[in-house]
Amino acid sequence: MPIPTLERDTFLETAELPDTPWVTIVWNDPVNLQSYVSYVFRSYFGHPRPEAERLMLLVHNEGRAVVASGGREEMERHVEAMHDFGLWATLAKDES
Amino acid sequence: MIPFEHSGPVITARLQSFEAELLGDLAGQLIVLLGDRTGVEPGGDPEQAATAALLAQLGIGGSESAPLDPALARLLPDAYRNDDAASTEHRRLTELGLVDRKIANANIVVATVATDPVELDEQSAQSWLRTLTDLRLTLAARLHIEEDGDDGTGDQAMLDVYDWLGYLQGTLLDEIERMKGDHEL
Repeated sequence: MPIPTLERDTFLETAELPDTPWVTIVWNDPVNLQSYVSYVFRSYFGHPRPEAERLMLLVHNEGRAVVASGGREEMERHVEAMHDFGLWATLAKDES
Repeated sequence: MIPFEHSGPVITARLQSFEAELLGDLAGQLIVLLGDRTGVEPGGDPEQAATAALLAQLGIGGSESAPLDPALARLLPDAYRNDDAASTEHRRLTELGLVDRKIANANIVVATVATDPVELDEQSAQSWLRTLTDLRLTLAARLHIEEDGDDGTGDQAMLDVYDWLGYLQGTLLDEIERMKGDHEL
């Protein structure tokens, strides 16, 4: 399969393949406490503490982190759950 | 003094009466703010209200456009970053449910903070965590706290309330973690 040479922001335009993986992305915000973000990753996704802390620090330092991947509907449910918690999350097609 | 302390599965909140009143007021204002998104006017058409309530119970129905109010826009963000059509569709299907759950959490805060002593079971403690988050997101939007390191601009009293809500949330979370630690021993 050819490697797409699309800009990062245009990958959503690509044709949707049935088994294209989707990802849930959590974005940094200046409001949520680090301890709370880590707690959400543990209590909702069931991550062990070191993985939750790693993802939380990725969000904090890199501005975003992929916290889950899978089918589109599942990612939509995750995004809705993150919004329940007050975290800023979006879903997108896996760009990797 | 740490405002939260657990005994068994119950967390007791020790708040001054003015603090309890303030938190209840803020949660009440959050309910009014979110209520704007349900499209139901207080005292409006009862049939329309009943339909909206039913749709919310089913978790479907909602506006097609993102809120203009920056606080609401942060509470109810787009699900897709660069795809307006998909965001609109997702919002139409899920927003009322999200709003309904946020209002339900804030209602639990209003009800529990009015009791003496304030005792939270596991579920109401979760409602407190979420509502404290929603209140901080709302105040941050009003105070123009938009990036890490922003101190906020505006009313000093509002800044103090914002910090206080952060302290409450942090200490409540610590106590929830301690309670969970007991459980795992």
